[in-house]
Amino acid sequence: MSTETPAWQADIDATAAASLAAIAAAQDLATLREVEVAALGRKGSVTALTKRTGQLDKSERRAYGAASGGLRKQVQQAIAARRDAIRQATVDAELADLSFDETLPGTEPAGGHVHPLSRVQLELEEVFTSMGFAVLDYPEIESEFDNFEALNIPGWHPARDMQDTFWLESGHLLRTHTSAGQVRAMHQLEPPFRAIFPGKVYRYESTDASHEHTFHQLEGLMIDRHVSVGHLLDSMRTLLSAIFRRDVQVRLRPGYFPFVEPGFELDISCQVCGGPGCSVCKHTGWVELLPCGLVHPNVLRAGGLDPDEWQGWAFGLGLSRLVMMRYGVSDIRLLLGGDARFVEGFHAGA
Amino acid sequence: MFVSWNWISELVDTTGVDPKAFADRFTLAVAEIEGVVDVAAGLDQVVVADVVAVSPHPNADKLRLADCDLGHATVRVVCGAPDLRVGMRVPFVPPGVTLPSGIEVRHGEVRGVPSPGMLASEADLGLSEEHAGLLELHGCDAAPGTPLCDAVPIRDVLYEIDNKSITHRPDLWGHLGMAREVAALLDRPLLRPSTEGLAFTDADPVSLGVSPFSACRRYLCARFEGVVVAPSPVAVRLRLRSLGVRPISNVVDATNLVMLETGNPLHAFDARHVRGDAITVRQAVEGETLVTLDGVSRGLTSADCVIVDEVGPVALAGVMGGANSEISGDTTAVVLEAASFDGAAVRKTASRLGMRTESSARFEKHLDPETAHLAALRFAHVLLRLSPGSQLVSRLADVGRHVDAPPQATQIHTRRSYLRSRLGLDATQLTDAWMDRALTALEFDVQGPDEDALVVTVPSFRAGRDVGIAEDLVEELGRVYGYDHIPSQAPRVAARPPFVPPSKPQDRRARAAMALGCGLTELVLYSFESESFRERVGLQERGADGDVLPREVLRNHLSSDMTHMRRLLSNNLLAATERNLLHGTRAADGHKGTRVGLFELGRAFVPVDLPREADHPAVDWGLPAPMASGDAASQTAYLANLNDVLREGVQSAVATKRPLPWQPRRLAIAIGERLGGGQDGLVQAPRSLSVALYREAVGAVESLCAQLQRPAPQLARQPEPGVLPSGVTSGPGAVDLRPAWLHPARHATVAVAGRYVGLISLVHPEVRGALEVPAEVVLVELDLDALLSVDTVAERGEAPARFPPSAFDLTLPCQLSARAAALTGALHAAAAAAVDDVDVDVRWVSEFVAEAGGAAADPTGDGDPFPRAMTFRFTSRRAAGSLTDDDVRAVRAAVLRCAAEQASVRPGWAAEVDA
Ligand SMILES: [Zn+2]
Repeated sequence: MSTETPAWQADIDATAAASLAAIAAAQDLATLREVEVAALGRKGSVTALTKRTGQLDKSERRAYGAASGGLRKQVQQAIAARRDAIRQATVDAELADLSFDETLPGTEPAGGHVHPLSRVQLELEEVFTSMGFAVLDYPEIESEFDNFEALNIPGWHPARDMQDTFWLESGHLLRTHTSAGQVRAMHQLEPPFRAIFPGKVYRYESTDASHEHTFHQLEGLMIDRHVSVGHLLDSMRTLLSAIFRRDVQVRLRPGYFPFVEPGFELDISCQVCGGPGCSVCKHTGWVELLPCGLVHPNVLRAGGLDPDEWQGWAFGLGLSRLVMMRYGVSDIRLLLGGDARFVEGFHAGA
Repeated sequence: MFVSWNWISELVDTTGVDPKAFADRFTLAVAEIEGVVDVAAGLDQVVVADVVAVSPHPNADKLRLADCDLGHATVRVVCGAPDLRVGMRVPFVPPGVTLPSGIEVRHGEVRGVPSPGMLASEADLGLSEEHAGLLELHGCDAAPGTPLCDAVPIRDVLYEIDNKSITHRPDLWGHLGMAREVAALLDRPLLRPSTEGLAFTDADPVSLGVSPFSACRRYLCARFEGVVVAPSPVAVRLRLRSLGVRPISNVVDATNLVMLETGNPLHAFDARHVRGDAITVRQAVEGETLVTLDGVSRGLTSADCVIVDEVGPVALAGVMGGANSEISGDTTAVVLEAASFDGAAVRKTASRLGMRTESSARFEKHLDPETAHLAALRFAHVLLRLSPGSQLVSRLADVGRHVDAPPQATQIHTRRSYLRSRLGLDATQLTDAWMDRALTALEFDVQGPDEDALVVTVPSFRAGRDVGIAEDLVEELGRVYGYDHIPSQAPRVAARPPFVPPSKPQDRRARAAMALGCGLTELVLYSFESESFRERVGLQERGADGDVLPREVLRNHLSSDMTHMRRLLSNNLLAATERNLLHGTRAADGHKGTRVGLFELGRAFVPVDLPREADHPAVDWGLPAPMASGDAASQTAYLANLNDVLREGVQSAVATKRPLPWQPRRLAIAIGERLGGGQDGLVQAPRSLSVALYREAVGAVESLCAQLQRPAPQLARQPEPGVLPSGVTSGPGAVDLRPAWLHPARHATVAVAGRYVGLISLVHPEVRGALEVPAEVVLVELDLDALLSVDTVAERGEAPARFPPSAFDLTLPCQLSARAAALTGALHAAAAAAVDDVDVDVRWVSEFVAEAGGAAADPTGDGDPFPRAMTFRFTSRRAAGSLTDDDVRAVRAAVLRCAAEQASVRPGWAAEVDA
């Protein structure tokens, strides 16, 4: 082996130095890729050296081949090493970068909004169906018979006065309570049955923050062979505990409604203070929630049922009031006011 | 109404009962107590003083100095009361006392004169609002220096009763009725006030007559002479005041005391002013007038009941006396009226004249005529006490329907076991003896023919509207027993799924599709429309013949803007869109609050077209089912089960039957976007916006049909206004075909499986121009009941295609009359013939190239008859392998051949594309 340095050695060395320097200088994968093409590509500097083999003497070809091949390998390895280093450094840098603001607000998806009345009504419908209640739907324009006579509200009763009821020119009326569906339900379903019928009701009365001429109620009706005050107490406590999603105490006070006898005002334990008394419950620990009672025999008769054979209980829950209680709505007029901003405060969850 | 515990304690022994603790029991058993008031708390140090001398104040004209005998000493205090005089007996408040009214009494000087204490008015002591003069202790014979509370029984606890909770209990409008309840709850005897020992004579008090046609059921009269009108003793005055009644004179106070005791209002006439010594009760004559005690002249109608003497009216029955016969200071002879009037008549008169008095409030409850008799006797007792020289100089005249034909006592036949079972109690919990005692305490007469049977006679003051059936006795026993002592009982439950009509899940899915799927906001709106909005915007609903369609009309309405029921939901939604665009929404929608998307689910009200639809099986007559649709036998059976009142009600309802309107469930959608500009009632929307809003609405309807598993909607313009496209059928209560907002050129009727379900339309330019905010709006109204009647499409779990599809797009130059649905259909048929499976979708419609460049929209300005570019995407698949190039070429060739045959596509275009 000659100890003399061949003339082409300088070119090899220079190309090696230039390529390695460029590789070392590359800070990202794209630059490194450019360096790779500039060295190893078809027109690259290292490739160009390799192509010169043919121009040399046969004696030198072997040595030159080894040298240029070695250069190519050296450059390839350097590029691979550099690529690993850059990749690692980039990942390390991202992991170490704590400038990311994890507290940025979310962007709102284009979902719509369900009205809180619908939401509460749906929720109650689910609770009641899970407990075996039929869910019924009855007309809002009702006959005087269904709204009054059938409910044992005779002509002399103050509730029949013009001032409480919207009357239509046709002689019919806008139902003043969902109880108007009681007799319809008795004709529609085979006893024994349990049913609710939610919906819009109307009162001829001027409006303020706590009064509306249009609001929503949910009527409950159970018909069975034997129904006692004890059954009513048990049912109301169970149902209201499901609605309020916690254990609710109930108590009955005498209340007069012509279509139930005995009739009650039902109070529930105050959901705000839980009993000791607060401003919401006027320091009594109890909040008046709904009227209820055992179905009056005359109503059973109007429903085609024999009071000697069938008995029942009924209640009327104020859906609008429940929505106001649950969501802290201070003005009932917001519910039907048609302002989309009010509803947009509630999410779609239907 | 206020109830005095002191008064109750005169009628039942309440020893050992704390009225405040008892209030809870009372609320649960009798009536709601809204508040418990402690009267005269904090007056312990106030004493009785006699004014022994009065002298002027040296430095003030309006003040004087009073020397007061306090028994152990005499003190001089400054006093500003105008009625101060020597000899008065008044309350004295020593220094260092803070009164309930908040006044602090100190050792001090008033305008330079020392004043160690003060003389007090009722207001100072917190007993009433009366502050004009000192509280003069008439009739108080306690020694000076005696504590006021010992001298006069002013210490009391008042229950404030919620009047609404006793509207059905006329017997509870007086202390006697309340005391009866307390006695029953405490199981102690009721101490009845005396009615004995009255020396009536045989003379007639007046010549008395009651018209049988009047609202008077019973009228009692008595005459007193030798009456000396004077202030009542202070104890009476304070009792009246604390119960909210102004003391006037012993005679008037006696009527009020008896009213507060028995619940029956009374009236006292000055006998001098009863002209002709005759009293008649009759209907008023139209146009008759009476100046009532409050000095107001009242015009009367034949619906009113009046008391007249020989000349004219002297009292408005049950409401207020006349000024002409009022008791005055020099009255010496009094004619007492104790009467019972029909509740409904008194209510009508009082509400027509706006005169809700203590008297009318009680008579409205329909009082027991027996109570009027008791009240007359009690008045005699009380007057003889308050005006000791008075004499009874007549018999107790007693006339009226109630006297001519006394009603039979109400008897209830029931069983002890039934009463127990309805409460959920057994015989060990509710014993026979306890039952008898409770009912007897409430003055029911109880007879037991056998061990279980009961015959209960209802006392007159509970009979009639209050207690009449066994269930009423269940209530009486339950409340005395205490509902809080009744154990709760779980009902036996049959295990079967409850009935839920298909409309319920449909509503739920529709709501979810609109809110969650389409990003719309749900509103719940009134069932009335704003008439002023309708008028401004020109809303009307017309039939095919152009006639205005009727709406349900309110006979009474709260405002002239709210007189009709809605026939369409979309009208209200359009008004809501306008309002919401005006004030903006929460702007989270990426449209900076200039966009609203709303929907409502609810009922529309469409009058039944009589007689055309009268026999339609779905017409609802608002009658009990057997009477509306049953056969003769079931009607007879139904009527036989009713009581008389109900049977009459049913028969009259059948005789006057009218159909309820159609009340279809509807879904309405409104999507609106605010525009800039617009003037003189002309608002133009960019065509691209109109198309975008319209397509959004169509998307919502398509998504609804998909969610409800119904076939895809078919959209078509009405061939003539108000006429359905051919092959589409409709039913009663369907969405009106020609609402005023319908845009004749930019709408579609929506049909599903050939059934008309509703409309999608951009709003008419006249309506757009009338909105208060320039906006383009698309409205949708769909009939959910109609949609429900269409059969569902079965959904199948098909395996996804195994081989990838191949897609290409083609853009067709079309005439403006071209319709996407028709082209899609034709192209699909052609493509499907060439390959196993192909989808054809409209990707893009470029209406007007000019508009995109910002120039005015003028589709035909360049004279091109095919200005609309419609891009379709064809996605083809083969069932058993990948699509080959040949397949794609075949589809493409088929589509191009088809396009060349379409008149709405530019001729020769296919050849250009092929080249
Ligand atoms: Zn509370």
